[in-house]
Amino acid sequence: MTEPEAPLLEGLGDAAGMPIGAPEGGEVQIIASGWNLALREFFDNKLAVVGLVVIVFFILFCFIGPLFDSTNQTLVNPLNTDLAPGGHYLLGTDEHGFDEFGRIMLGGQTALEIGFFAAAIATVLGTLWGAIAGLAGGLVDGIMMRIVDVLLSIPLLFLVLVLATKYSGTVVRLSLLIGLFSWLIPARLVRGEVLTLRTRDFVSASRVMGANRRRIVLRHLIPNALSVVIVNVTFQVADSILILAYIGFLGFGLQFPSTSWGDMLGGAQNYVTEGYWWLVYPVGGCLVVLVLATNLVGDALRDAFDVRLRRR
Amino acid sequence: MMGYIIRRLATALIVVLGVAAIIFALLHWLAPSPAYDVLGAKAQPAAVASWNKLHGYDRPEIVQFFSYLGDLVHLNFGYSYKLSQSVSALFKENAGRSAYLTLAALLLSLIIAVPLGIMQAVRRNTFGDYTFTTLNFVLYSMPSFFLGLILIQFLALDWGVFPPTVSDSITTAWQAFDHPTQLALPIVTLAAINVASFSRYMRSSALDNLAQDYIRLARAKGLSQRAVLFHHLLRNACLPMITLIGLSIPTLLAGNLLTEYLFNYPGLGLLFYTALGNLDYNVLLAYVILGAILTVLGNLIADVAISIADPRVRLD
Amino acid sequence: MPAALEVDNLSTHIKLSRSTVQAVGNVSFGLDTHETVGLVGESGCGKSMLGLSILGLLPNGGHIIEGSIKLGDRELVGLPDADLRRLRGNEVAMIFQDSLSSLNPTKSIGKQVAEPVRLHRGASKKEAYDRALEVLELVGLPQPRERLRDFPHQLSGGLRQRVMIAIALACEPKVLLADEPTTALDVTIQAQILRLLDDLRDRLGMATLLITHDMGVVAGRTSRINVMYAGRIVESAETHELFTGMRHPYTQSLLGSIPRLEQDATKPLVSIPGLPPDLTNPPAGCRFAPRCSRATDQCRAQEPPLTGEDPSHLFACWHPVEGPINLTSQMRVVAERAAHLDVRALKPLLQIENAVREYPVTAGVLKRKVASVKAVSDVTLTVGEGEALGLVGESGCGKTTLGKLVVGIEKPDGGRIMLAGKEVFRNRGRALRLARRDLQMMFQDPYASLDPRMRVQASLREPLVVQGIGTAREQDQKMRTMLDEVGLPLSALERYPHEFSGGQRQRIALARALMLEPKVVVADEPVSALDVSIRSQVLNLMKRLQAEHGMASIVISHDLAVVKYLADRIGVMYLGKLVELGTGDDIYRRAAHPYTDALIKTIPVPDPAAESAKTEIAIRGELPSPITPPSGCRFRTRCPRAASICAEQEPPLRQFGPGHQAACHFPLQEAAPA
Repeated sequence: MTEPEAPLLEGLGDAAGMPIGAPEGGEVQIIASGWNLALREFFDNKLAVVGLVVIVFFILFCFIGPLFDSTNQTLVNPLNTDLAPGGHYLLGTDEHGFDEFGRIMLGGQTALEIGFFAAAIATVLGTLWGAIAGLAGGLVDGIMMRIVDVLLSIPLLFLVLVLATKYSGTVVRLSLLIGLFSWLIPARLVRGEVLTLRTRDFVSASRVMGANRRRIVLRHLIPNALSVVIVNVTFQVADSILILAYIGFLGFGLQFPSTSWGDMLGGAQNYVTEGYWWLVYPVGGCLVVLVLATNLVGDALRDAFDVRLRRR
Repeated sequence: MMGYIIRRLATALIVVLGVAAIIFALLHWLAPSPAYDVLGAKAQPAAVASWNKLHGYDRPEIVQFFSYLGDLVHLNFGYSYKLSQSVSALFKENAGRSAYLTLAALLLSLIIAVPLGIMQAVRRNTFGDYTFTTLNFVLYSMPSFFLGLILIQFLALDWGVFPPTVSDSITTAWQAFDHPTQLALPIVTLAAINVASFSRYMRSSALDNLAQDYIRLARAKGLSQRAVLFHHLLRNACLPMITLIGLSIPTLLAGNLLTEYLFNYPGLGLLFYTALGNLDYNVLLAYVILGAILTVLGNLIADVAISIADPRVRLD
Repeated sequence: MPAALEVDNLSTHIKLSRSTVQAVGNVSFGLDTHETVGLVGESGCGKSMLGLSILGLLPNGGHIIEGSIKLGDRELVGLPDADLRRLRGNEVAMIFQDSLSSLNPTKSIGKQVAEPVRLHRGASKKEAYDRALEVLELVGLPQPRERLRDFPHQLSGGLRQRVMIAIALACEPKVLLADEPTTALDVTIQAQILRLLDDLRDRLGMATLLITHDMGVVAGRTSRINVMYAGRIVESAETHELFTGMRHPYTQSLLGSIPRLEQDATKPLVSIPGLPPDLTNPPAGCRFAPRCSRATDQCRAQEPPLTGEDPSHLFACWHPVEGPINLTSQMRVVAERAAHLDVRALKPLLQIENAVREYPVTAGVLKRKVASVKAVSDVTLTVGEGEALGLVGESGCGKTTLGKLVVGIEKPDGGRIMLAGKEVFRNRGRALRLARRDLQMMFQDPYASLDPRMRVQASLREPLVVQGIGTAREQDQKMRTMLDEVGLPLSALERYPHEFSGGQRQRIALARALMLEPKVVVADEPVSALDVSIRSQVLNLMKRLQAEHGMASIVISHDLAVVKYLADRIGVMYLGKLVELGTGDDIYRRAAHPYTDALIKTIPVPDPAAESAKTEIAIRGELPSPITPPSGCRFRTRCPRAASICAEQEPPLRQFGPGHQAACHFPLQEAAPA
């Protein structure tokens, strides 16, 4: 099975030359050192900066917000269910009588937590797996990647849902559930990167000067593969939040009274039919905006790292 | 060519075997025996034990696994005690409707995404390109059901153009085909997310190809832009799409589940959802295996298709 | 009668996202029928852009901002695209460098050759195919009828290039633009294609513009040559006049910087310091002034016009030169090193005995080995202390693989590699690490041989750190010394590789290879990836360091002139076998093996007289596959002297003089008595 890459790079125009030199070897054109160049490229991308700001905003809003605007999110209040926005309740109330605005903050906390934890688990697992497979080569590589192939054939959402019937309900459990099945793509990516790097001349040069395996892996392979991993983590966060939304929507998310943005949309069909728009669109909007911001940041990171490598 | 297909089938078989092993292990862990479903939750342990013995649920795992495999080969996916039907029968009943929905959505998304991606690549960095790229980004970041909800809100409830859920009178794929307005929203919902990712891919594939020298040579022959795009670019840019479609099958199945649930369309997805609620593990895991088989088959077909379309891929 | 193509004061700019590249500036030249005119210059000088401007095929953001292009008496600049398209591929055609990427990989050859015919002549499918067949025969494609259905990747590079030429000629254009038509090809195939272009020009009468960076290619087959630098034409003259009586300092330096086969290897190559200018911000005056040893304030302030008393010899310079540099009178000679190291007197240092390396070719799911690529087959060589050995050959000959065997990147499948009598790569652990101090390598691709995440000082320090040599201060000192020796400023230490040009990176790579003071340095294609004017800088540097450090070196290159300049002895390889070994003179003046002889004869040299004197094609046919090399003597399929014994028996290496060996049943000379 082949895995197509999706390079979103547009061809950079090639400037015709380099600066004039005086020393025999020519002047050295000062562009910017490695990470600085990537950072500069990243911040040049206005959308990426906006995305970053949005993510930071949501983190503050969801975690710090309740300190300023604390609402009851645990005791059901049957008198005030399904109220439209206005007066005391900025965004109305839901079917339990909880303040919707406060609920969004709460839901965001879990969405962010699960998103990051799941992404972290998936990335760590996937990177280790892929790196070992790529370095070992031969039969070990073959077996490890066959396992990945087998697991990839199983539709992720289905497997997660089946397991969620028995093993769900808390942030930790959901993070593990999502993370333990999302490591497959990073594993493939990292393995591919390691395989490419292994054949590069600078790795051969290190071998020729007598470097042992450990040094080559630690000093050459890992730093160069890092950019792929960083980009991937970002996309993993976005994907994890989306999967969480699906799980919550279908009703297998967190246990009441905890909630996540996905869970809040669980009764969305009813809300829509009944006209309770404030229970649907604000939450959904926040979800979309957060995932969008994360995707933008990931995209910009990918471009930034590639530009750095290609700058000549 | 035949040799290649046979070799790939063999690999596919091994993969499915691996999946079956995993699924069986899960099944065994989650629901080792349907005894409680049949006899009731409060059944006596002795009754359970003898029922298990009668139906072979006390045999060692390995033996059960092989009999499970044997069943699969005969397309026997097990039995749903909750719905009192064989799973195969349930699949047969619902497959047609689901297939219609999914295939229609796939077709729609391709019809939109391919020309869109090429157009974006050709008119790179223009207003149109940016607009569609932004639109794609937003769609890509949206849970599919949310788009569905928005469509229901506006097109169904507010403007009444389409029904918010699929009518109960639609029971076969033919009927669905005959009543396009009924399925319009589900198809569009399912297609939308795919359009986002397909056209993104198509755009970058087209861009890659446009930068290639053979496009320049085609222009040097005096071909018009249209001729270059049609006779040279199209085929080469679409090649990676074939692989992509194969890889998108799991996503399509997941989307199918959510869409059927949202629009109350009786297909395999809705069946799965019901089984989730019933903890009907036989159905659940049978569907997972079916999904895996479809994925593996899909990838195989994609690989073979590529080898036909791309003369450079001469199969070893 | 108007010229076939007349370009007048043409300027092309390319708008990038942040700046504008002034790719071509005020270029004027003409082209007549039955004439081939050369357009030479280095990469980035604008020659390709000029060709694309003529066809109207500029990349995104490119426009012609002034000037005129006349095809016959039709003005092309400002012509609406529809009209321009009618001319493209029809009256004006272009061929490009890379034939693999220039042909549509999913369309058959026949379809691609027939396409312009159907378009411009309205031919039916059958008529177009017939014409395609006709023109494929014209370009010498063997078995053209069978090839119609083939796809580009099924043909070799030389055959693909013929197909590209066929596409260009399908509609009998009046003007042919050939952009680096043979650069990507092996030398022996290159000669065939160039000969083909000459023939076609004679027969069909096209006006041909030959765009290339290779002075040898234009020497023998053009009537005029235009030299471009930084977007401008700096000199334009008849070919012979350009080589013997050039006026522009750039032309003079350029021709002086190219190593020649007959040149004295003790003399340094003319070197042009610095780098070509950045065309997004070109200098105000003469664009060559910053690198010119004759530049004055006037040069820096005012751009010289393209003039000359003789209208057939124009140049743009305020202080022109008169003819080629006289090397004996200028510049100090390279530090003392004997012209010919007496090889017999040297102690043997590196011994390669019967080295074999084969790569398996696998097939099927189970990856069974079905065949093997015979990269190196039974090669025996000795390199003495302080000796420079050159390895030369075309693609697939095994020279790079042999280099990898020497430094231990690959393990031989047979035979031994011994340093000072010991098989060093049999060691393990610490012993192996110590042994590696003596065998270092300089890689071909300057962009891949340095870790992009490591600063230069880390890359240079690494060999010492790995080997545990010296304290931090001592390591620092060594780095600075080395950096100075390779001609780079100290500020380079803090920079990352991507901030340097190709030539500068090669210097860093060379410095790194020498950090451990190895006994043997293998240089794999050290200058192939560099611009022509930069090559001589690095070659001079290598020669100087060789003399100063006294290490043995193995220089691997497909360019015989480069190898001859750097090496004391040269080994010629063909399809994994060593076919001849001898000093530079032995190889050049007394070649015994027909392949060596053919190589010498086909390599284009920047000498018009010598080029025009070449008559026959010395080598026919294609390079056989290294997976199934011919039996017996591997060269027999292309050798004019081959007889039946050549297919049955592999020829042994025989002596032809002191240190001169060759493996041939019918050598060009008498073998020395055993």
